[in-house]
Amino acid sequence: MIQVGSIIQYALMAGVLLIAIVFVRSQHGVRVQASKRLGFFLFLLLNIYAVARPDDVTWVAHRLGVGRGTDLLLYALIVTFVLAMLATYLRINEDEQRVTQLARAVAIRDAEVLNRERGLLPPLSTPYIAGATAAAAAAEEQ
Amino acid sequence: MRENSDVWIVIPVYGEEKVIAGVVERVLHVFPNVVCVDDGSPDNSAAEISGTGAHLVRHPINMGQGAALQTGFEYALSRAGGQYFVTFDADGQHRVEDVQKMLEMARSGAADVVLGSRFLDGAGTTSVPRLKRLLLPIIAKLSPTARRLKLTDAHNGLRLLTRPAAEGLRITQNRMAHASEIVGWLARSKWTVRETPVTVLYTDYKGKGQSLINGINILFDVTLSRRK
Repeated sequence: MIQVGSIIQYALMAGVLLIAIVFVRSQHGVRVQASKRLGFFLFLLLNIYAVARPDDVTWVAHRLGVGRGTDLLLYALIVTFVLAMLATYLRINEDEQRVTQLARAVAIRDAEVLNRERGLLPPLSTPYIAGATAAAAAAEEQ
Repeated sequence: MRENSDVWIVIPVYGEEKVIAGVVERVLHVFPNVVCVDDGSPDNSAAEISGTGAHLVRHPINMGQGAALQTGFEYALSRAGGQYFVTFDADGQHRVEDVQKMLEMARSGAADVVLGSRFLDGAGTTSVPRLKRLLLPIIAKLSPTARRLKLTDAHNGLRLLTRPAAEGLRITQNRMAHASEIVGWLARSKWTVRETPVTVLYTDYKGKGQSLINGINILFDVTLSRRK
């Protein structure tokens, strides 16, 4: 168990909160994407280093108020895992929005043909075509 | 001009083959323009709707009630002449009389958006299950956006929007969080929002609708959605 109020607790909590806010709030620019990938690469290197020289990691862990180097690694892993999950969740949401818009456009286009055949919409030669172009414009606007 | 030809009733449908035709016929009796959005139902809902005089829009895949509502709005808005747009449940919970009351209020110019409430004076609350009767008003009081609009019932499926309001609506929450999303959007908008008492019929036919535990999922979705 780590003691109450040790440096690592504050560092981890602040890190999680800060990055979570950045993740949720910001639009994903090229820079954010690049720094995320760079961060991940650094994390991998650190892991290799930690395996090679566990004593060094334990030294860092002690500085931060954590008992063992492996504990420190575990904490870092948890933080990374949670953030990766969050990023995936947001990504899935974005994909879902795109699929929704595509499916909606298909559904409305098919429905206009179907409901015209069912006699619920006037034939195409009338000015109602304006309605269809308005729908297309609205879809584009999104 | 036929009566109420400027009104569109939007009904999202998922797996309601047993009741949908009856619900649609009752609505068509008063409102000639009905659009049913079949959200990829696995049953014969779409065929049942085809047998009625309602417009049918079919989602090629299941996407959720919020997505179905948005599709219905976009379809209805593209038709000329629509001035009032109503969201109505497919399972027979809502009463056509209540829509008429809401429409009266909108036509008088008293509101741009009229929401149904199960908890206003005059609403028939006896059929609301006890736990919901207890908890939903508390949720409405706790929700910052519902409080800003002074709502007594933030999660009612019966809503009426005038055309300008409906044109601004963009539901991005595909599943159940759309109710909270709509209320949040209304709170930030310039539209005048009013509630009218409505009676929601809780039938035995299916233990469906918003389960309270699903509120946790909704809270999660709403909190993590990106601000636009």
